[in-house]
Amino acid sequence: MNLAREFNKGIWRENAVFRLMLGLCPTLAVTTSAINGLGMGLATTFVLLCSNIVVSLLRKLIPGQVRIPAFIVIIASFVTVVQLVMEGYMYDLYKALGIFIPLIVVNCLILGRAEAFASRNSFVPSVVDGAGMGFGFTLALFILGAVREIFGSGTLFGLGLFGAGFTPFLLMILPPGAFIALGILVGGMNRLEALRKQRPGDRTIGV
Amino acid sequence: MKKTITQLALVLTLITAGAGLVLSLVEAVTREPIAEQRRLETLRALQAVLPEVDNSPDADTVSLPVGKDRKGQDVLRTFYRGRSNGALAGVAFKVTSPEGYSGNIDIMVGVTPGGTVTGIEILSHSETPGLGDKIEQEEFTRQFKGKTLESADWRVKKDGGEFDQITGATISPRAVVSAVSKGLAFYQKNRKEITAAEGSSE
Amino acid sequence: MEAQLYLSSSPHIRSEDTTAKIMRAVIYSLLPACAVSVYFFGIPALLLLLICVLGCMATEAVCQRLMGREVTIADGSAAVTGILLALNLPPYSAWWLAIIGAVFAISIGKQVYGGLGHNPFNPVLTARVALLISFPVQMTTWYAPVPLGSGADVVTAATPLGEMKTAVMLTGNLPEGLNADMLGYFTGYMSGSLGEVSALALLLGGAYLLWKKVITWHVPVSYLVITVLFSGIFWLINPARYPSPLFHLLTGGLMLGALYMATDMVTSPITTRGMLIFGAGCGIVTVLIRLFGGYPEGVSFAILLMNAVTPLIDRFIRPKTFGRMPQEA
Repeated sequence: MNLAREFNKGIWRENAVFRLMLGLCPTLAVTTSAINGLGMGLATTFVLLCSNIVVSLLRKLIPGQVRIPAFIVIIASFVTVVQLVMEGYMYDLYKALGIFIPLIVVNCLILGRAEAFASRNSFVPSVVDGAGMGFGFTLALFILGAVREIFGSGTLFGLGLFGAGFTPFLLMILPPGAFIALGILVGGMNRLEALRKQRPGDRTIGV
Repeated sequence: MKKTITQLALVLTLITAGAGLVLSLVEAVTREPIAEQRRLETLRALQAVLPEVDNSPDADTVSLPVGKDRKGQDVLRTFYRGRSNGALAGVAFKVTSPEGYSGNIDIMVGVTPGGTVTGIEILSHSETPGLGDKIEQEEFTRQFKGKTLESADWRVKKDGGEFDQITGATISPRAVVSAVSKGLAFYQKNRKEITAAEGSSE
Repeated sequence: MEAQLYLSSSPHIRSEDTTAKIMRAVIYSLLPACAVSVYFFGIPALLLLLICVLGCMATEAVCQRLMGREVTIADGSAAVTGILLALNLPPYSAWWLAIIGAVFAISIGKQVYGGLGHNPFNPVLTARVALLISFPVQMTTWYAPVPLGSGADVVTAATPLGEMKTAVMLTGNLPEGLNADMLGYFTGYMSGSLGEVSALALLLGGAYLLWKKVITWHVPVSYLVITVLFSGIFWLINPARYPSPLFHLLTGGLMLGALYMATDMVTSPITTRGMLIFGAGCGIVTVLIRLFGGYPEGVSFAILLMNAVTPLIDRFIRPKTFGRMPQEA
């Protein structure tokens, strides 16, 4: 098993947001700024990493019949941990992300990785898989958040980019902007992928 | 390998118990910081609207009923009292306007004991980003400073008053102005009780 | 193998209408409205029309090239979108507003769905609403008309509908003298977007389209009649609070919407009964938004909402299929 490949697949080939279309609820809802996207991505990555570790360690112990409730209990526990720690030490981010922190529980990405990967693989590959998938998810949310913040507020990480004369395209930080920006990004990625496949002899090279 | 129902229950119980243990530990560690953060949030707003004080206004409060809810129970409004060298320096209270463009607007208002506004701070709102949310900005909130109920015409300029509205959004400023003026009227009416009553540190 | 028998699926009877021919008729029909807008708002109106048309055509060409489709800017459909978009903008709008609108209308409103004939929503109104939500200040700054050669200064002025909404919010009653200038409203002497001001010019264009059989009477007539009837009910209840049906008919974007946007054949029902329902729905939603909504004008939102239910209307009002036995229920 090629560990680098396991890590890389989460970033491009099986990117949770752009390719698998998983976890779109937080993706669309919280990415009104780059910092929100980054915070949500990191919180999700932490939960994903921990749940992958615990699930892979306990995979021989958990009987198939009750695996889903067991996974959900594990995931929900880590989400609660994240929520408590955030409220205690990162209050502003906690306020900005609001209801979407508890909703990490129902992010299909996390249960999906537990079910499809961690419950069938040993510790090390599961860690790498969780880290890669989480990194890809964070990257996607960050890009989406940055694009929407630049166009919708004219800022990046809260810093003004264009000076006073700029009129922001408000639609981008409103809900429709999330769908439009995501659609354009996914379209662009598909286009790149198609171009890449056209080049002969390129297929053997990993991502 | 088929497991019996008892075994399934046992495994699930173990996992849940483990989760419970971890959560109780984390909760114990974060309880203090979370309480502190919540207190700080109120305190920050109080500091923003009150003049220089040397006590903790959130520990020196008095609550008065402002109205009744649908069940007929009193709705209380808390008045935070800031003191400087033991003398009352200012009073802060929270007003809520239901007249915003979307959802309630919570505003912290600070006044001198005499009823002159020392500052307002928007605590929470869900107005349109880029438009109505400009009520948060200093340019808007600072025009309340120094006004009293009698000295100012509590309407936005578009309605003939003296408060600047925000270009493109009149509803949000109008809601803030009317909520603050109602809060001031309530304060004037109950000034004696608010400034005189012994503080409770609930 | 001399005689060959050609087999093809329906339709077997084709009309001679091509997209280009229809679009040309639409452009001719819009000329009076364009002329009125230039008369009242001067050279800037002409520039705005040009920017929108060029912007739409360029976007269409770029999108079609990028997506590997045939470039069809010569058929005039992008030009029509451009003209209608300009007519939906406030006078003296900034050039970048027009460009953003044009790019949005063609790319997001039309090409991402697969191009002409596949878009569920009217592209012009999609762009107008996107601009209205994104740039509320620029999109709601209106100017009083300055007839060519009058030399009067350009001043901002609320639209009749905006005036009505403000007065009703403040006092609960209609402003004084609201119904005074019905003839002005009819000819176009009121503040509003470039193309919506003159009901007269729009009716002329609409009549031409009807005569050329580009549109049928069903949608506009049902839209306007229901607007009159529905607003009339409120007016009869309390004429001090609700304006007259004639006011509703002549102000705002109703005529422009009813004649040009609601009749868009791509986004409205295909059966005549469906069209009547579609128009009625537009009328009811328009009046509701104008009288009780947060925005002073509701034509764009009404038509977009009804665009969204068009597939449903088409599904429920299916024409009878001939050549089949009726099925027992």
